[in-house]
Amino acid sequence: MANLGDTTVGRWSDVFEAVERCYELGWSDGLPALPPTEYRVSQFLDYVGRDPSEIVGEISERRREISVGKVAANAVMAGCLPEYLPVVLAATEAMLAPEFNLVGPSSSMGGSAILSIVNGPIVQELNINSRNNLFGPGNRANATIGRAVRLILMNACATIPGLFDRSVIGHPGKYTYCIAEAETETHWTALHVERGFSPEQSAVTTFAGEAPRQVRSTGKPVAILYAIADAASALGTSLSTSGSVGNKEQGVRQGEIVVTISGDSNLWKDWSKQQVRQYLQANIHRSVADLKQAQVFPGDLEPGDDERYISLVPEPEDVLLIFAGGEESNMASVIPSWGPKVASTAVTKEIKVPGK
Amino acid sequence: MTQAQQTEHVLVIPTTEAIVLPFDGAPRLPTLAGTRLGIIDDSKRNADVLLEELSEVLRTRYEISDVQWLRKPSASKPADPVELKELVEKCDSVVIAIGD
Repeated sequence: MANLGDTTVGRWSDVFEAVERCYELGWSDGLPALPPTEYRVSQFLDYVGRDPSEIVGEISERRREISVGKVAANAVMAGCLPEYLPVVLAATEAMLAPEFNLVGPSSSMGGSAILSIVNGPIVQELNINSRNNLFGPGNRANATIGRAVRLILMNACATIPGLFDRSVIGHPGKYTYCIAEAETETHWTALHVERGFSPEQSAVTTFAGEAPRQVRSTGKPVAILYAIADAASALGTSLSTSGSVGNKEQGVRQGEIVVTISGDSNLWKDWSKQQVRQYLQANIHRSVADLKQAQVFPGDLEPGDDERYISLVPEPEDVLLIFAGGEESNMASVIPSWGPKVASTAVTKEIKVPGK
Repeated sequence: MTQAQQTEHVLVIPTTEAIVLPFDGAPRLPTLAGTRLGIIDDSKRNADVLLEELSEVLRTRYEISDVQWLRKPSASKPADPVELKELVEKCDSVVIAIGD
């Protein structure tokens, strides 16, 4: 058996004592966790065929290195199957990439969670849900992969609530936040392909995001997009606030945004993803008058302030658009980023499946 | 009902420890008078207001000779190592502060 790193001993006579032992050791997110026994962690590592001491990445501000073995142990605790480990490893690699700047979204007062969006053939192979109850419960792969990411954050990256995690209101997605794109059910180009991978590859995109805001809208595509843009333009999101940005010219933080659109993909047959992105980027904005009323901008109201608009998303490419959600209705969601792009940018990494 | 016998299991520790490398702090300045001050503004709201006031106090009361200003692009990102090196070469002391 490979050297799995530091170990300790647990003694139990039944499953309840085993779970309690994980609580005693402080390794849980609050929910029951499975004990990361040497035997089970080895099964996971054997599946991926990787050295447990190999470093996946580091969070230098907290002086911590995250190894393959630590990722595997937390994936076991989350209830993953060994086959899920490549996804969890890729998500970990992505959130530890320098441009993701994990220390920001994982420490900040702003309530964000790390969203994992899975694309490629592995979505079908692992049965990762991309349809009904997209963000909801009921599917093992989504629930446990997202939970593994959170346990890695808490256990391996020291993102401990009240200690390094200073989030004021938290985020329900911090228990689990993993979805897939229904890329086989739309003519739209899959997210990972747009971001440089081939359709035959599988990839995960990590995004530091607020909670999904459901957008109920029906009718023609432009009517649906009008409602989505309105919901994404709300005051009080990270995008529409000021501060914490070195460049003061824009006045608001701006940032990326994830948009999910569900329903019948035929509705969008005359629209490409790029067209949707362009429409949304141009219409996700807020008037100077509103920004002054909310004291995002200083100064008194002046004539014309209600006709001057400030963009909240820098470029069309900053709209991460995916086709996902139930087929029952044209329901969408918007997920503003935790912060400006200069502070954290979405990162996509390939999922390396053994034997492929 | 009798209690079942406990079995022993080896658990892989899922947590990490901080790897803290030893370092020596910079020597203290015997006086601020005539020295050059560096300021790192973290770009949080009002950090510039606080730090401008501080530099003014240090200039008038402690006679610092010069102030070099470095503004980070984002509060949550570390300062650029190249810019930090330049600041060190231009300054005798540096104040790092967080505003909000």
